[in-house]
Parts: sequence; C-alpha cells; structure tokens
Amino acid sequence: MKSIAFGQYYPADSILHRLDPRIKVILTVLYIVCSFLCKNIISFALLLASALLLIAAGKIPLKVILRGLRPVLIILIFTAFLNIFWTKGETLLFGWRFIKIYAEGLYAAAFILVRIATLIIGTGMLLTYTTTPIALTDALEDLLSPLKKLHVPVHSFAMMMTIALRFIPTLTEETDKIMTAQKARGADFSEGSLVKRAKALIPILIPLVVSAFNRAEDLAIAMECRCYHGGEGRTRMTVRRLRFVDFIPLALVLLLGASLILLNILGFGYTMR
Amino acid sequence: MSELKLENLSYFHGKGTPYEIKALDGIDLVIPRGMITGLIGHTGSGKSTLVQMFNGLLRPDEGRVLLDGVDIWEKPKTIRQVRFRVGLVMQYPEYQLFEETVAKDIAFGPRNMGLGEEEIRVRVEEAAAFAGLDRALLDKSPFDLSGGQKRRAAIAGIIAMRPEVLVLDEPAAGLDPRGRDEIFANIVRYQESTGSTVVIVSHSMEDMARYCDNLVVMNGGKVVMQGDRDYIFSRSERLSEIGLDIPQVTRLMLRLKEMGVETDGGIYTVEQAVEKMLKLYGR
Repeated sequence: MKSIAFGQYYPADSILHRLDPRIKVILTVLYIVCSFLCKNIISFALLLASALLLIAAGKIPLKVILRGLRPVLIILIFTAFLNIFWTKGETLLFGWRFIKIYAEGLYAAAFILVRIATLIIGTGMLLTYTTTPIALTDALEDLLSPLKKLHVPVHSFAMMMTIALRFIPTLTEETDKIMTAQKARGADFSEGSLVKRAKALIPILIPLVVSAFNRAEDLAIAMECRCYHGGEGRTRMTVRRLRFVDFIPLALVLLLGASLILLNILGFGYTMR
Repeated sequence: MSELKLENLSYFHGKGTPYEIKALDGIDLVIPRGMITGLIGHTGSGKSTLVQMFNGLLRPDEGRVLLDGVDIWEKPKTIRQVRFRVGLVMQYPEYQLFEETVAKDIAFGPRNMGLGEEEIRVRVEEAAAFAGLDRALLDKSPFDLSGGQKRRAAIAGIIAMRPEVLVLDEPAAGLDPRGRDEIFANIVRYQESTGSTVVIVSHSMEDMARYCDNLVVMNGGKVVMQGDRDYIFSRSERLSEIGLDIPQVTRLMLRLKEMGVETDGGIYTVEQAVEKMLKLYGR
C-alpha cells in the first residue's frame, strides 16, 4: 500500500520545473494540438525531436519516463499491430495468403506510435513530472478565474482539489492500519468467492468512511478558526509573476505549431490521408 | 499459556528498494509464559514492528518466531490460526470498530474463528467483563461510545478470541490518567484470572514499572536489555543513557546518589524509596 506514491512529481532543478505553472498548462494544451497537426514524415520527425528536447530540458531520468510509458505499452503494441495488418494501400511490401502488409500500414503504425508516445512524454514533462499537484491546482484556478464572472465557484473547486490531493497519502496510510487491525482479528481478504471477498471489505470501508468524515469536520473547524471564508479577498502566500523567460517556451511551441501547419500545406514526403 | 520465542530475527522496511531500512536487527527474545512482559523503547525503536511479528502480520526477512517451540511460518497457509492464538490489540484500536452494535463488533474475531452462536455469545460477555465494559453498552452502536469505552470495546474484541498470548500496543495512549489506570488494572486482572501471557508495549516507564513483571528494552531496532523488573531498574543509568524516561522516584534516587547519599538506582516505586530512606536514617 505504501508503494502507491501519489502523482508522479519528480523533484529536480530544471528549466521546466522553474517555469510558471500557468504557462505550462497552456503549453500542454498547445502541444497536444501540435501533435494532432502532424500529417507527414517531416512533421512527425519534428514532433519527436521536440519531445526529446523536452526530456533534455526537464532533467528527468530516462528510466522514470520509460516507466511512465509502461502502462500504455499494450495499447501502443495493439494499435501498431492493427495499423500494420489492416491498413490498405498501394505499395505492397509483403503478401502471404490473407496477410498483406503495405508501406502505408507501416507509416501509419509509426505515426501513431510517435503521436501517442510524444503525447504522454509531452504532458508528463510539462505537467506531471515537473509540477507539484498544489502548483497545478493554483495554476488552474488562475487560468479559470475568468469563469468567476459567470458565477462558477472556481476557488472552491480548486480548494476541493487541493484538499483531496493532500489527503490521499493520509487515507492510504489509514487504510493500511485498519486492514492490519482487522487481519489481527482473523479477517481474510484473499480467499473465498467474489461475494465473500466483497463482504470482507465492509470492516475496512466503514471505519475508513467514518474517519474520513471526522477528519473533514476537524479540518472544517480548523479552517473556520482561521477565518477561512472562501476565495473572496483572499491573497496567496507566493504571488507568481510572469517573467520574460516564461514566454520563450510559449514562443517556441507556437513556432512549432506554425511550422507544422506550413509543412502540411507544402506536403513533404509521405502524407497521411 | 504459551511461550513466544524470537531467534535472530531481522526485518527490513521497503526491502529491495533504495529506501530500504533495517527496522529490526538480530532480535533474540523470550516472552515467558504466564507473566506480564513490558516492551519499552522510543518512538521508532521498532516496538510496533516487533509486535506485528508475534502474530504473523509481518513476515521476518531473517530468523524465526517460535510459538511453543513451533515456527509460526512453517505452514504459511495456516498463519490465520496463529493470529487467533496471539491476540494483538493495535495502537488506537478504536478505529477498527465497524459493526452496528458493540456486541457484534466484539464477536467479529470469534466469528472468523468459525465458532457457534452460543459459544460466541458466552465469549462476548466474558470479554466485555474483562475489558471493564458495562453490559448495557453491548447493544449500543460503537460510534456512540466515549473514547475510553471504544478502547475497551476494541480490547474486548481481541480478548473474545481467548488468545494464549495477549499483546497490547500502547493500550493507554491518549487516555486521561484515570482511564489509564483503569485499563491497566483490567489487564492485570485479566492476566491473573486467566493466567495467560501478556505483552504490553509502552514508552512510559512509570506504567511499566508498576504493572510488568518482566521487561524488554529496545533501541534502534535491537533488544538492549531483557530481564525481570529489578534487574532492569538496577541498570537505570543505562536506561537514561539511551534516552528513556526513568520513573521520577528512580531519578530522585540517582540524584541523591550523585550527592553522596548511600542509595542506588534500583528503586522504582515510592514505597521502596520510603523504606530505603527510613533504613538510612536508622529507623
């Protein structure tokens, strides 16, 4: 249970770690758009290069990034497989009975692989690995603040997210304790039918929910004691100001997007339909 | 009435990860039968990890745990049976209560043992009496009880399994002085009337000096000293060396000794101190 480290934030001192989180959120959105703009071989090469550049800029060990890709490995292999065998094209490379592999299929498979991998690396490098969950919620609150004009309770949502993130490790630890205590009374979570196992969870879930409610109440009282009354007139301990350097990555990504559009118009090399 | 014996036992937290910590280091230990044994040590000295070895909640990385001479991990599939024989009351056990009524909650352990309804009913009442829980409370919801009553209900839940060895991890933590005394008095009464083996974990020297016949001192994942109460307290200097809080009266005696009064550190109750003083003054 303790091995579940929450989030994937990887502490390091890099350009990406220091970048303003609000910029990083915007960059992530733009980067996703960019990856879908790619249509030909040169633009995919460009995309791959940009992902490598991000890895270099973030100072995250390659091992950590590969571990992050592992859960989607099956999906990657499966989509590549489908694309290779089911794409029909003009240049037949290999044919044996019903198996026909076309050059277009290989291209499509490679493109999909690059697209998914760069999407994961891009969002990972820009957000999850280099931004703490708290900085992320703060950034979202700032970026969504125009919605306050429409009476959307942006601050409350951000506060809820912050509190939820804060209590995940606490509740994990608590679950662990309750499970051990019930095991000491002979509870058995690993044997019996599905119904029996589901029933075995009751002695864990009830104390967990009770204590979560108690904690929520304590926290609410503690917040009220410190005069918390929502986002109205509330200031931050650290006020982030955009610096000139924060705009450089933004310019770079916009440049990437522009060149991708240009490449689509020119249509170099093999182009996906 | 069983004897627990630990042989050269070691345990690592986070084994195989870069964060590996040796939590228990070559523990050799005998918990004698039919006595109250106190396990003393600092926070982080490995007490709570050690007690989870007693009933097989954790599996040692090295060494053996012997219950009546039999290795409890000989047949890992029957480890649940060991948990019924060595009853462990965890720290702050009131967080484990979950049933609709106190009686049902106390019955959780016996029910897991597969006992019949009549047997369970008898055991629940017996356990409640031992834990000092009023019979009227048995039909209430455990969430309506006071803090001290919840603690008793949780202890009764373990006693109802009629364990041969009863282990209590900080049974009085967070209770007021009166609640403490009552809990300990109940434990002593339970031990005397059943003759079972009891282990109490605590960092309070005062409590240990008062209630335990036999003591085990832990520090940094190792057993530093073990022996009967007189033996341990005759080495009070060593106890303060590892930073344990020795009883006030013992501290006073040590201080007098420093000032040249002919006394020693082996005194841990006020009665003993009075006797010693009277003797010194020749009365």
